[in-house]
Amino acid sequence: MAKKSYILLSLLLFLVLISCAPKKRWHSATFVYFDTVCEIKIFCSPSEFLSCQQEVERIFSEIESHFSPGLKNYSSSLVLNLYHKSLSIYKNTNGCFDITIGPLSRIWGFLNKSYSIPSQNEIDQALRLIGMDKIEEATGTLILKPNMELDWGGIAKGFGIDLAYNALESIGIERGFINAGGDLFCWGKNPENETWKVGINHPRDPGYLGILSLSTIAAATTGDYQRFFEAGGRRYHHVFNPKSGYPAQGKQSVTVIGPEAVICDALSTALFVCQYPEEILDRYIEYGAVIVDSEGNVSLWGKPYLFRLL
Amino acid sequence: MDRRHFCKTILLSPIFSPLLSQLKIKNSASRLYLISDTPQDFLPLILGILKNKGMISGHRFAFLNSSPFDEKLINIMSQKGWIAVPPAYPSDFTVSFSHLNQKVAPSFSFVKEGRILDVRFKSLASLWLSMQQHQGPSSFLTITSFQERRPALLGRFVSVYRDGRKIETLDLKNKVLKSYSAQGGRLVVQVEDRKASVVDSSCPQKICCFSPSLSLAGERIICAPNHFLLEVERTSAVDTAIG
Repeated sequence: MAKKSYILLSLLLFLVLISCAPKKRWHSATFVYFDTVCEIKIFCSPSEFLSCQQEVERIFSEIESHFSPGLKNYSSSLVLNLYHKSLSIYKNTNGCFDITIGPLSRIWGFLNKSYSIPSQNEIDQALRLIGMDKIEEATGTLILKPNMELDWGGIAKGFGIDLAYNALESIGIERGFINAGGDLFCWGKNPENETWKVGINHPRDPGYLGILSLSTIAAATTGDYQRFFEAGGRRYHHVFNPKSGYPAQGKQSVTVIGPEAVICDALSTALFVCQYPEEILDRYIEYGAVIVDSEGNVSLWGKPYLFRLL
Repeated sequence: MDRRHFCKTILLSPIFSPLLSQLKIKNSASRLYLISDTPQDFLPLILGILKNKGMISGHRFAFLNSSPFDEKLINIMSQKGWIAVPPAYPSDFTVSFSHLNQKVAPSFSFVKEGRILDVRFKSLASLWLSMQQHQGPSSFLTITSFQERRPALLGRFVSVYRDGRKIETLDLKNKVLKSYSAQGGRLVVQVEDRKASVVDSSCPQKICCFSPSLSLAGERIICAPNHFLLEVERTSAVDTAIG
């Protein structure tokens, strides 16, 4: 008899606890980091959302404080972590991705938005400071040659997104996306219980180039329309070819899809510069790309992900 | 000749309507009519100004028939960022040529859905004046037809976010002028003609006020100093966008 009532009581307590659990629903928030609008949308309870938003903002803030242009802390574990990832991608892309292009950002005026076309002499001098092979790593710090400058712009956002996703996933958030102005990680199912529909912005016209259907995966886009200036009827954009010192030619937009946002971010820059996408994607078999060339032709490369051209 | 008389001449001209059907101009929302013996001197300039004012968009154009000015036009247009594509390819606007059966004073007019739009901005007004003063009568007509925006991408609602929280959703169909307080300052949003824009702000640089107006799903205007975001709600086609 006692056992029966014990079971009944436990059942009652269980039901009470279940009904008291905070209801999950979709929440979203937008905020400004990395000089761009960031958006998160996750499926959770209201109190969870508050702590999630704070955690994501804390992580993005930390990334900004370590990797913004001009900062030179080369001993922190965060910086060394990203340096190792960057070095690996530098080698695998034959130098098409390179974080030492800081001098190029400077002489073309992208650092302080005082855009100008540098002389060939200035470019040659800058090129002498470029190449990740010129960085030494010793006793927990990086050693750069004099006047070398690092530009983490092609990889820091992706790094931040991976960290943010890992934090949310470990809290137990099973569905959502984090979008930091063109670099994204989405996971689980979307609010309609389907794959996430992610539009790729058209490089020239308002509206979308096409729509990706994604599950748990990252995506990043690099384009010649994101930061640029025009002079003498020509467009000069922010994605430099580390070998020539000039903005890379031949493409309007590159979108990379794959398991890690940090690699998608860096590869979208590398593929923008590189002439032969298959050479790079052969080394990253889990990654695929949507490339728009300078004529506006769209082509798909690497691992196929569902993409519908509009 | 004033604008209305100009358009009347064009539209009632007996040579015009049969030519129109011959040229197979697709359903287009707006058209620019230019009468001038040297269209390469005026068409790229007028198009550039219209584009800056947000009245036209896109950058690909196709010739529907040929003229003695094709090469010059393509050169000058490509310098301004417009790309010529073959007629069979998708384009944002088409250019065709014909002749009136009489010479008239040179001029241009922009017609949208049958209505003549006043496009005499300062920059166009001085162009108009220079045409009148320096060009003789002409019978050469250049018609530029603009495709209507793909309706699937037009937005229906625009949402207002302050400090990351959505505070209001406005219907783009209803004309409204609304003021919001933000970060100790003020922001004024206008919705008119299916477009949303920021018309006044307390921020120092007013980049939000200079941003182009919003009408397509996903487009946004940001006022960073005021922590303010205006975004056209996405259609159910996409959850978010990158690029």
